[in-house]
Order: sequence, then structure tokens, then C-alpha cells
Amino acid sequence: MSVQPSAQATPRRNSSRFLEKIYPYGSVLPALVIIILFTIYPVIYALRISVYQYILTKPNSHPFIGFKNFHDVITSYYFKNALLNTGIYTIAAVLGVLLFGIAVASLLNMKLRSVNALKIIILLPWAIPAVVAGLMWKWILNSDFGIFNGILYSLGMIKSYIPFLADPVLAKFSLVMAHIWKEGPLATIFILAGLQLIPNELYEAAKIDGGGGFRLFRFVTLPLLRPILLVVLVYETMTAILTFDIIYVLTGGGPGDSTALISWFAYAEIYKFLNLGGGIALSIIIALITLVLIILYMRALKTDTTIY
Amino acid sequence: MRKKRRTLVKTILLNLIVAILIIYIAGPFVWVISASFQGENELLKKPPSFIPKNPTTDNYRYVFTGQVPTSYEVKGQLRSRISQEARLIAPALKNSFIIAVFVLAINLLFATPAAYAFARLRWKFRAGIYNFILGSRLMPAMAIAIPYYVIIQSLKLMDTKLSLILVDSALTIPFSIWFLTLYITNIPRDLEEAGLVDGCNYFQVLKSIVVPIIIPGLVAASAFAFMTSYNEFLFARFLTTSIASQTGPVVLSSISGNPDASYSLISVCLTLGMIPPIILAITMRKWLTEGLSSTITFR
Repeated sequence: MSVQPSAQATPRRNSSRFLEKIYPYGSVLPALVIIILFTIYPVIYALRISVYQYILTKPNSHPFIGFKNFHDVITSYYFKNALLNTGIYTIAAVLGVLLFGIAVASLLNMKLRSVNALKIIILLPWAIPAVVAGLMWKWILNSDFGIFNGILYSLGMIKSYIPFLADPVLAKFSLVMAHIWKEGPLATIFILAGLQLIPNELYEAAKIDGGGGFRLFRFVTLPLLRPILLVVLVYETMTAILTFDIIYVLTGGGPGDSTALISWFAYAEIYKFLNLGGGIALSIIIALITLVLIILYMRALKTDTTIY
Repeated sequence: MRKKRRTLVKTILLNLIVAILIIYIAGPFVWVISASFQGENELLKKPPSFIPKNPTTDNYRYVFTGQVPTSYEVKGQLRSRISQEARLIAPALKNSFIIAVFVLAINLLFATPAAYAFARLRWKFRAGIYNFILGSRLMPAMAIAIPYYVIIQSLKLMDTKLSLILVDSALTIPFSIWFLTLYITNIPRDLEEAGLVDGCNYFQVLKSIVVPIIIPGLVAASAFAFMTSYNEFLFARFLTTSIASQTGPVVLSSISGNPDASYSLISVCLTLGMIPPIILAITMRKWLTEGLSSTITFR
């Protein structure tokens, strides 16, 4: 008798158990389809194109040329210089963003009334399009009627207007400065989150032990902040190496090629030299460089990879 | 006494630094808004005036109605310094807005169930698929821009809003999944277990127990998806050719590339372009800050 109800219930339970089993797969399927369509296929396609000749002015001839695209790109007139520029830019931008982030986050963490205003506006540069940020700075730094020149001139700090974006060195500085303005806020928020995790008792204890100011920062804050600083470092390195939008509008890679980073030339190969194969080969080289850097950083992190 | 004086000096110094930072961060915004209310002849003075002496809304009127500002006629520069393209900014921002809203909706619809499955359910390929989805974001955008071009062309979606909705969704969903998975992992699961014991299935638990609890997380995820899509430039630049689908950043970059463009009109376009993200950043400041902080402190 007691077997009866369970025998009746079994088919229903089976079907609901089956539904339960496939439920997770159904949940991720729509997202997964979109991501696969825009990840796996593009990568396979890119790898294939990179070993063929694809020049837009010769639309009907695509011979297999092996690694010639890679060879051409690496031996091109711009490669070494672009790599050097990218290295300089990345180091300057990442260091700048990190220092900005640490300094501003420390300020925001203080009991100072004026920082409330800073808290309200800190997210604004992060929130707007990079194109808008670049254009704002382009007009501010304009050599004929930019407000920055205007202010320096009115204060008597310069005798004549400075062509910030027409000088190779000043253009690099301007670009890094605009980059820090745009990217610094996110780093600040991250580092502030880390600072707020450090228990106050630790500072109290360190103070009793005779630590103060810089020593406190060096021996208490910095070690505890290390994991978060490493995440910020990884993220900001990737962002800096792949910078495109802000360069596109602020300097256009100029003057000359002085602010043209490696990803700028991937764009130029395709849109200016009309060489699709070369552009993709260069893109793959960029992807490999970032990948190697990420792996190196991950080694240093030695924690989980759930950062992205 | 000496100690008191030292703290006073320190406070003054710190406040000075804060003031400099506020000028650095907010200055460009204030200036571009101020410039948008100035006539061309006032703006091109040496040095320019930071606060407009004769504020005018002529520039805005031109962008929205096409009525040429009077100051241009005075200077005899009628046509040359007026950029017709500036008038495209309103439809372009509308495109941006439509695309971003759809991307936001797709994110919520697709990422929420996926995040729940990753955070709470035990299934075979969970870790593998999770890592694949997150790993997909490591691809440099430039490396996949050309293949995207080809995919969109073969789907016959060139120069459509739908193409950007698809691409921006693929760009934003991984972050939304990751963010919401962390969020769900960090809420207590007692209520869900009670629901499952009561005979609810997973979907019912997600819908009526989990979603109401994670609303702050959903709001933050929506804002991130909206902003990323609204701000995206590279793919929009590659995949659009006309105002039927061109977004704000694309039109802004092409206006500024026009040597005839008027500085006042560009300022108007920049001001209009940053209104939506600025409104989001200010009204949702608390949620955005908490959301961003949680991505780095949650484990």
C-alpha cells in the first residue's frame, strides 16, 4: 500500500528533476550564444586572415602568404618606434593613475569637510565617453585660443601661447595628463574601497608602537593594500596599452607619429594603408603582448582569476 | 600650542590640495559648458573669458533648429565657421540612447539568470563556462574589430542600430554576469532554501526571492551596461556609416575633425553628449561607488 503514492509520484518527480538538471544550462545559454558569436568566431576569423594577403585595393586576390603579414608589420618603419611609444605611455599612464588613485583615495578617506565636494564629482570623468574627454582637453590645450594657455597668460606665467599638442614631448605629457584625468577616478574608487577595509585598530596599534605619517603608510597601509593595487595595476596596464579613443580625438597620433601607439597603427594599417591582413597581424601581436603581461601579473597576484 | 598650529597648517594645506583637485576634475566640465553659451567672437579672444560676458543660447538654437546665430553674421563668417554636422548631434545622441537602453535590457534579461546559475547552482561545466565568459573580455577590442565588421556584414546588419546592440551586449554581458554572480554569492541564502523546501522551482526562487533582494546590484549593473554602451566608440566607428545608426561619440569625433567646425558648436555638442552619463553618475553615485567597490572587495 505504501508503495502506491511514491510509484505515482515518480514520473512527475523525474520530469521535474530533469528540468532542474537542465535549468542552469538554459540560464546561461542566451548569454553564451551572444558571447561565442562575438568571441570564438572573430578569433578564428582573425587567425585565418592573418596568414593571407588581404589588401583592400586588390579585392580579388587573397593568396596564402604564411607569416609574411607578421614579418612585414614587425619590420615596418613604425613598429619599433610605436612599441617604444606604447611602453613609455603605458609606464607613465599607469604610474600616474596609481599615484593619483592612492593620493586622492587617502584624501577621501580623511575626516575633512571639503572632501565631500570631491566625492560628488570624482566619478564624472569616468562616466563620460572617452571621445568627449579627449575633445574637451583638445580645446582646453589649443595653442591659439585654449583656456589653459589663457589662464597661464593672464597669470603672467607665460609670455606667449604654448602649442601643447604640436610639440612631440608636450603632446605626450598632455595625453598622459588627460588619461589620468579620465582613468584616475576608477582607480581612486578601487583604492578607497581597499583603504576602508583596513581596520582602524591596526593604525592605533602601529601608532602606539611609534609609527607616524609616512612610516604608517609604508608599513601598514601599503602591504594591506597590495592585492587591490595589483588588480588596479593589471586593469590600468591593459587600458593604457589599448588606449585608442582619446588619442584618436586629442592628437590623432601626432605630431608626426610621436603619440601613435601600437593600437593606433592597427587602425592605420586598415584604414590608411588599406591592409587588412597587416592590421590583423598587428592586432594579434598586441593581443599576445597583453596576454603575456596578464599572465605575468597573475603570477604575481597568485590569487584567483575572478578579477575580470 | 605648537602642535595645534601644526595641525592648522596641515588642515589648510590639505584643503588647498582638495581645491586644486576639484579644479582639475571639474574645471574642464565647467569650461565646456561656459563655452557653449559664448559667441564665437568672445570665445576666440586672447585670453578667453572664463565666465561668458554676453551669454547666449544662439548656439543651442542653431543645433536644434538650424537658425544661424547673429554673431556669425556680424563677423561676416556666416557659412564658413558653421558646421552643418553639428546639427547631427541630436539624432546621434538619440541613437546612442536607444542602443544603450536595449543593451541595458538585454543585460538584465540574460545576465541575471546566468549569474544565479553561477552563484547558487551546482552543475557540470559551471567553472569552465564562467571562466570562458570572463576570459572573453581579455580580448583587445582592436584585435576583433575587423572580424566584427565581417560578421556584421554577413548578417546584413551594416549601419543598423541592431548591430551595435548586439556588439555592445557581447561587450557588457560578461561584466554584468561577473558582477551579479559576486553580488548573489554575497547575500545570505536562507530565504532561497526556505523557498526550495516549500516546493518552488529555481526560476520561481530567482524571480520572487533573489531578484527583490539584489535590486541595488541590478541597478548598478544596468548603469554600467548603459554607460559602456553609450560611451563605446571603436566598434561604432567601424560599424556605422550614416546617421541612421551613428552614435554620439562617432558624430562628435567627425565634427571635431572638420576644420570648419565652430568651437562654440562643438562645446554645445560636447555638453549635450555628456548630460546622460553625468545625470547617471550624480544621481546613482552611491550605488555606482558601492558596486565598483564590491567588485574589488567581494570574494
